[in-house]
Amino acid sequence: MNGTWALTKLALRRERFIVPLWLLLLVALAAGQVRRYAAGIPDIAAFAREMAANQALTAFAGQIPSPTLAGMAVWKNADAIYTILGLIMILTLVRHSRAEEESGRAELVGAGVVGRLAPLTAAIIVTCGSAVLAGLLTAAAMTATGADAAGSLAFGAAIASAGLVFAGVGAVAAQLTQTARTAIGVAALGLGLSYVLRFVADGSGSAALKWLSPQGWSHLVQPYGDNNVAVLLLSLAFTAAALALAYRLLTRRDLGHGLIPERPGPATSDRLRSPLRLAWRLQKGLLGGWIAGYAIAGLVLGALATSVEEVARQGAAVEEFFRRYTASPEATMTDAYLWLIALSLGYVSALYPLLALLRLRNEEITGRAELLLSTPVSRVRWVAGHLLFALAGSALILATAGLTMGLVAGTPGKVLAGALVQVPATWILAGIGVLAFGLLPRAATAISWAAFLFVNLFGEVLGPILGIDYWIAKYASPYPNLPMVVSGEPFTATAIAIMTGVTAVLVAAGLAAVRRRALI
Amino acid sequence: MELAIEVEGLVKSFGRARALDGLDLTVRAGEVHGFLGPNGAGKSTTVRTLLGLLRADAGRAKLLGGDPWRETAELHRRLAYVPGDVSLWPGLTGGEVIDLLGRLRGGLDRARRAELLERFELDPRKKTKTYSKGNRQKVALVAAFASDADLLILDEPTSGLDPLMEAVFQRCVAEEKARGRTVLLSSHILSEVEALCDHVTIIRRGRTVQAGPLSQLRGLARSQVTAELASPPEGLARIPDLHAVRIEGNRISFEVDRTRLDAALAELIRVGVRDLICTPPSLEDLFLRHYERVKAER
Repeated sequence: MNGTWALTKLALRRERFIVPLWLLLLVALAAGQVRRYAAGIPDIAAFAREMAANQALTAFAGQIPSPTLAGMAVWKNADAIYTILGLIMILTLVRHSRAEEESGRAELVGAGVVGRLAPLTAAIIVTCGSAVLAGLLTAAAMTATGADAAGSLAFGAAIASAGLVFAGVGAVAAQLTQTARTAIGVAALGLGLSYVLRFVADGSGSAALKWLSPQGWSHLVQPYGDNNVAVLLLSLAFTAAALALAYRLLTRRDLGHGLIPERPGPATSDRLRSPLRLAWRLQKGLLGGWIAGYAIAGLVLGALATSVEEVARQGAAVEEFFRRYTASPEATMTDAYLWLIALSLGYVSALYPLLALLRLRNEEITGRAELLLSTPVSRVRWVAGHLLFALAGSALILATAGLTMGLVAGTPGKVLAGALVQVPATWILAGIGVLAFGLLPRAATAISWAAFLFVNLFGEVLGPILGIDYWIAKYASPYPNLPMVVSGEPFTATAIAIMTGVTAVLVAAGLAAVRRRALI
Repeated sequence: MELAIEVEGLVKSFGRARALDGLDLTVRAGEVHGFLGPNGAGKSTTVRTLLGLLRADAGRAKLLGGDPWRETAELHRRLAYVPGDVSLWPGLTGGEVIDLLGRLRGGLDRARRAELLERFELDPRKKTKTYSKGNRQKVALVAAFASDADLLILDEPTSGLDPLMEAVFQRCVAEEKARGRTVLLSSHILSEVEALCDHVTIIRRGRTVQAGPLSQLRGLARSQVTAELASPPEGLARIPDLHAVRIEGNRISFEVDRTRLDAALAELIRVGVRDLICTPPSLEDLFLRHYERVKAER
């Protein structure tokens, strides 16, 4: 354990921006919701009754812990907070354990006066510390909004426990595999499984399933209602067991190796004969993950469409909803829901081409591009290979979700069309990605994420939640300009043609810039 | 004689830092050319400019008779490159990378590939992320040697190899030369350059400080002489051609220009020689002389 404190300080210094930012976001998510409900909903008990009757919403958010302002805020956002915090914990823990080993930095540290267990211990201290901090900060922020202290503390404890569990899951995953990316994949699979169990438990009413899910344990606390903190003993026991297992695995393996051994691969290759084939090898994992994720999302969201209840077009909120997401007076609530989901899938898919194109930057930084470009492969051909996957992949991802969602919802043709209509809007992001890589390679990562956040924050799905006026969306984001083919608007090609044209211009400019610049 | 590489007055700046400051480099077809310089002298920048990865700010660079920036892809059909810091695709095996690079360069000699794998003792079935630095370099070297490129550009290719593999590498380069290929070898390992290269270019701070055949460069430097004489060598110390003279009893050691070697030896013989060692200047001496000048200027 020698050196644990020094390594902890090092980890804290490296985390001085990332983790505080996430914590701030989570606290704002919890406390901000109380303020929004306080301002927007006059009769919170009636609102709670209305929401409790909606099975689809119950699946997404869980049971309502108490029909109070704070209770409804917990209901609205707690599940997201538990899951996002779980993801942050996994990323943070792997970043300070397996990623360090993979990069070889752990070797440098291990040669110093540092005990075998010290690096993992430091990672655990920092990760679990941030989980507890997230709980305490949220409890304080909730109390500050006027919520009762006991409920706030129970909520904070539920948050911290969810974080601790996935810190433990991350610690075990980091011992199993040789690369950080695979470790994150393994742990995230656990997180996803736990999410689905909880989702199914609340969606189907088979509450017993909830006891199998770590997020479910935090849900069972029912802050501001039962305040049943005793359930969290399960979370703590799970965390302790996971950490013990991680230490046990750590002492049994060599530095830099995983427990899952590497199999020998092929000694020759006939298939890798072009930069396009290489791009396929480098892109297929990312694309496969997105397709699988979108297929599942389509199934789940399509299933929910069958339980959407039709309501009369009365009341300001309902009218506003229809005004935004339908284009014909005949369009039903189900149509509006399906278009909203198609749009949401479109907005999220904007990230895929950006991530796919950032692989190019990674190839450049690592020097692999230099090796590849020392062969007769031209730069344009190299970029075009990856761009093809960014463009075709976006279409494939959206088509997959459109197919599964449409089949489950019972209107395959319409829903598939609604999903495919999103493709040209997502392509614009691909164009931005290529242009950023060509013109400002060093800032390409920042620009890509900024473009994704900008399109989403000012778009018509997240924008109104954040209080941004709806009319801005049409100018800030391509998606609001798409024809609402699912909810009553006839298909028109104008917007699609313009977006495809814009993409072509951006791509052409990006490729020209790549040809002209130095490889750095 | 045909020139494989012709560089004149090459200038390249990165922001305020001037990496190349009027560099000259001439490599004739069929020769093994040593490219030497201290860290940060501009060796890799020159190589990357020749590969068309960077564009020079000023000066002229010709590679195999073409413009490396404009005719990049065509020229690359005729060359193979081994970077100093080889980074490979983590999901691929070494064998897959060798085949990929070979195919992209327009074909690979299967028999030579198999032979090289054996000589370099490289397991092609392993994923590249499990390779050490030396093994990653071997992957790039096998791909380069098994290609049918006219020109090999090797940027510090042996910094991760053990002495046994270093010997294999030297034999391979000698074979490439025998097959008529041109090799540009940027290196820090002077014994390697001395063993392989007919011509060398020494650069520092982005400029060429010395270039020419190794034998000619040696001629410019001094030989080291140590002699055991019949009697104490009084008076010899005053001969103006001798440098760094040290006398201990009957022993004398000094440095002398090769053109003055005759006269110096005649003086020794006059006193009476019992034992004599005469060492020609090594590349290391040449290199250190320039290197020390750099330090003195700092």
